[in-house]
Amino acid sequence: MAAIDRPLGLDGPVREVVVAGSGITAWSAAAALRRRLPWLSVTILPDEPAPDALADLIGSTLPSAIGFHDDLGLSEGDAVVRTGSGLRLGTVFAGWTAQADYVHAYGEHGRPVGAASFHQHWVRAAQAGRATPFDRHSPAAALARAGRFMRPDAQPGALLAGYEFGLHIDPDAYRAMLRAFALHIGVGERRGRIVDVRRRPDGFVAGLALDDGGEVGGDLFVDATGAAARLRGALDERWDDWSRWLPCDRVLLAAGPAPSTPAPLDRVTAHDAGWRWRVDAPRGSSSGVAYASASMDEAAARGLLPADAGEPLLVTVSPGTRPQPWLRNCVAIGDAATRLEPLEWCNLHLAHSAIDRIVAMLPGRDCAPVELAEYNRQCAAEAARVRDFVALHYIASDRPGPFWQAVAAVDPPPTLALTLTQFRERGRLPVHEEETFARDSWLAVLLGQGVLPRRVDPLIATVPLERFERAMADLRAAIDAAVAPVPAYPAFLQSLAQQVAR
Amino acid sequence: MSGEDLRVSYGEGSGDGRLRVVIVGGGTSGWMCAAALARLLPTRCAVHLVESEAIGIVGVGEATLPHIRAFNERLGIREADFMSWTRGTFKLGIEFRDWGRIGDSYIHPFGTFGRGQGEIDFHHYWMRMREAGHAVPPLERFSLACTMARENRFALPGTDPRRLSATFGYAYQFDAVLFAPYLRRLAEGLGAQRSEGRVVGVDRDGQSGDIRAVVLDDGRRIEGDLFVDCSGFRSLLLGEALGEPFQDWSRWLPADRAAAMPCRTATALTPYTSAIAMPAGWRWRIPLQHRTGNGYVYSSAFVSDDEAAGALARSVEGEAMAEPRLLRFRAGRRERSWVNNCIAIGLASGFLEPLESTSIYLVQQAITALLELFPERRVAPSDRDEFNRIIDLEYDRIRDFLILHYHATERDDSAFWNYVRTMTIPDSLAEKMELWRRRGRIVKYREGVFLDASWVAVYCGQRVLPHGHDPRADLPAADSLLRGMAALEAEVADTAAAMPDHLAYIARHCAQAAAA
Repeated sequence: MAAIDRPLGLDGPVREVVVAGSGITAWSAAAALRRRLPWLSVTILPDEPAPDALADLIGSTLPSAIGFHDDLGLSEGDAVVRTGSGLRLGTVFAGWTAQADYVHAYGEHGRPVGAASFHQHWVRAAQAGRATPFDRHSPAAALARAGRFMRPDAQPGALLAGYEFGLHIDPDAYRAMLRAFALHIGVGERRGRIVDVRRRPDGFVAGLALDDGGEVGGDLFVDATGAAARLRGALDERWDDWSRWLPCDRVLLAAGPAPSTPAPLDRVTAHDAGWRWRVDAPRGSSSGVAYASASMDEAAARGLLPADAGEPLLVTVSPGTRPQPWLRNCVAIGDAATRLEPLEWCNLHLAHSAIDRIVAMLPGRDCAPVELAEYNRQCAAEAARVRDFVALHYIASDRPGPFWQAVAAVDPPPTLALTLTQFRERGRLPVHEEETFARDSWLAVLLGQGVLPRRVDPLIATVPLERFERAMADLRAAIDAAVAPVPAYPAFLQSLAQQVAR
Repeated sequence: MSGEDLRVSYGEGSGDGRLRVVIVGGGTSGWMCAAALARLLPTRCAVHLVESEAIGIVGVGEATLPHIRAFNERLGIREADFMSWTRGTFKLGIEFRDWGRIGDSYIHPFGTFGRGQGEIDFHHYWMRMREAGHAVPPLERFSLACTMARENRFALPGTDPRRLSATFGYAYQFDAVLFAPYLRRLAEGLGAQRSEGRVVGVDRDGQSGDIRAVVLDDGRRIEGDLFVDCSGFRSLLLGEALGEPFQDWSRWLPADRAAAMPCRTATALTPYTSAIAMPAGWRWRIPLQHRTGNGYVYSSAFVSDDEAAGALARSVEGEAMAEPRLLRFRAGRRERSWVNNCIAIGLASGFLEPLESTSIYLVQQAITALLELFPERRVAPSDRDEFNRIIDLEYDRIRDFLILHYHATERDDSAFWNYVRTMTIPDSLAEKMELWRRRGRIVKYREGVFLDASWVAVYCGQRVLPHGHDPRADLPAADSLLRGMAALEAEVADTAAAMPDHLAYIARHCAQAAAA
């Protein structure tokens, strides 16, 4: 590729990238950089696994994982079916408020009526005490509750369209697949333990010294070593602490036997000092408990795991983020950049998003501050809104007890405060940059947890309430009718496996 | 969160539960606001507009952005009807002449360059070939909007997003002096009340500071719950009565006057506005059906009023239809646009020169925000703060984009251009420019009126070319890329050539309106 050799006029292009880490995050980064920026030489240093990297350990993903596969050119057969993965439509949240449980699925709830969005009308009906639960108006939530699955209808405007789904992965199988893929497309693997980060006089990373006496040099270093951040942490320690908004600092993860019936819906249930989950993925169930160590001891948390769970792994989480995940020629991704409890399964998503951003914004070898600043601005905005979304579940809870009362009393971060004020006042959701969750996701949680705006959009007054109630009832009936003939989720998985085997 | 502020309370309302909204000023912004409130919130407010025929309207905001179409649609205004009433023409973008260097010309289109290429913008491929020494045509040959504009053609955009015909949008150029009466008719038909008179006094509540009433020159008192200041540059309520401070941006945007003069249309009816750089500012040229609007926006520190008027008179293309009229202004905005129960919209809230036709857009955004945040009995601080946040963001982002036009120049032929070329620009813009210069990257925002293609157009059009490009643009083989670009250029040219002439399109369009 001769064009690469032309002088850039400012600095040479990055050619050699070193990825440190051995988990899903590291292999994802190595594969993506090699595949999408094919002139790069990519070396991975798997070192020893990070025991606490939630992005590498959690088995549920957001829909963005599928887009990440597409960009790599990974087929559904290879990435999903052959790794024994499942498909997930959403999560049901139970016990977060005194209200009924609610489903957060990734897709639309109702359709706009006149000039105003569906939820404004729904809120008006709710204020009059005449609304059925908000998630009843989401086709994806209905599919999930019914244990059925189909791909979103490609026909625009169809009822069972307008939603996305994520994955249930078996982390070990999934990592093995990524590793095989990465090695196949030319990622170099260098064995050895990192014993030192060698620096240049200007502070850039010169190379990594290994325990076998060797050294690995490169132009750019990607730190995917988990919370330890063994590369990036050597450059500076700046850290924004989020613990006042995200109260859980311990996570127990346990694998269980294969479920009798896999489910496309995860179950997340609040408890006295945090929450627990249950995921029935095709190859095995998994469960976990997130809790605040100040309010609950480990023995009590273990007691919340289901009876069929295996021996759990305990992970300590110090929630927060690096204000500058990328400094000089070292960029931290995954838990090395941002740590937060796995509620809403954002850990791997943030890592994928960082990788996409590295691909899109790759600077020159000098890693010019102006380019890194834009990268860091986007990462910070994205991480802050994920934090807001996770914190929302706590702040919008009305559970009794000291743990819940304390977290509900904390002043939210400014960006979440804007969302809450505008929503509580009149159901508005101001646009934020780098938002991970769509408006309908915010609505699902806000309205699912009973946060009701005081007022509604004045523009909807022209539609009589009765007319909207009829429209809502019609929509629910249409959803039920559309969902009924959809195959059960296990049957869908079976047919998918058959298609791939053929 | 401090809970709700109950400090501000109102009087009696209109007696039927609706808020009494008093709009001061009946120009474009005043009547746009009156019509929107009367149409969209008939059960929430009673609209009363006060204007004086003795006070002229500024009415220079004749060129618009595509957003105006959504506004008209919400108000139920039919395009053809609107076009014939306001003697309007279609607008595909703005031609900038003599900005980077004297003799340069580029179009900032309402549309994109190239076709969707996945995540890498077309300009990266274009820059790659250019750097490699290939004789690539100018960027605008890959934009359907630019090509249509250059050839005076117009047709409505297509709806299939995969097709080239869907890669552009359009706005209008129209006679603002005719638009206000059009909206007035609409608003009054929807029940808006109008009073003739000059506001000479503002009665405020001693405790809260809220406005209770405005007093007219004949002694009448018009009471209200909410006051919308559309009084133009004077900012009668927000600026004069409430004393809201003004944030002055003239160190970056030094133009403070304009001389305006319509002339007969002598040349083709272009589907674009022109902004022609002048020794101490720039000159607009807005072709309407019945005349061409012209004006010289200049800095009085660099040229006298007489010189400016003379330069304008000499440069217009057709026979003058009036003597040059002088307007004075200052670039900047009020610290807050909504204070107490007073909301300033349009020039009363701030001023940005019409270089990118943002005046009516800003009015529209303020009205949209007001509709969404329309108060109940009392003003909730959260509504007011959110309104101000939205409006401030709009002003600030447009500001940087306007400054770019002045700063990104090689001109050194006058003291004015030497000043703007060498002035210190805001950090927010300096960072954007540096990011562009290095690798052709645009800072992306979800909100904000001018998106990637607009920045690319101005940078490239004013000779700010990056040192590098997205390295992924190097992946396709050079010869296949060149073939693809040639095919695209041909498709753009053919698509434009198959479209009707702008004037012919309007004639058919308006004839239909007259028949209907």
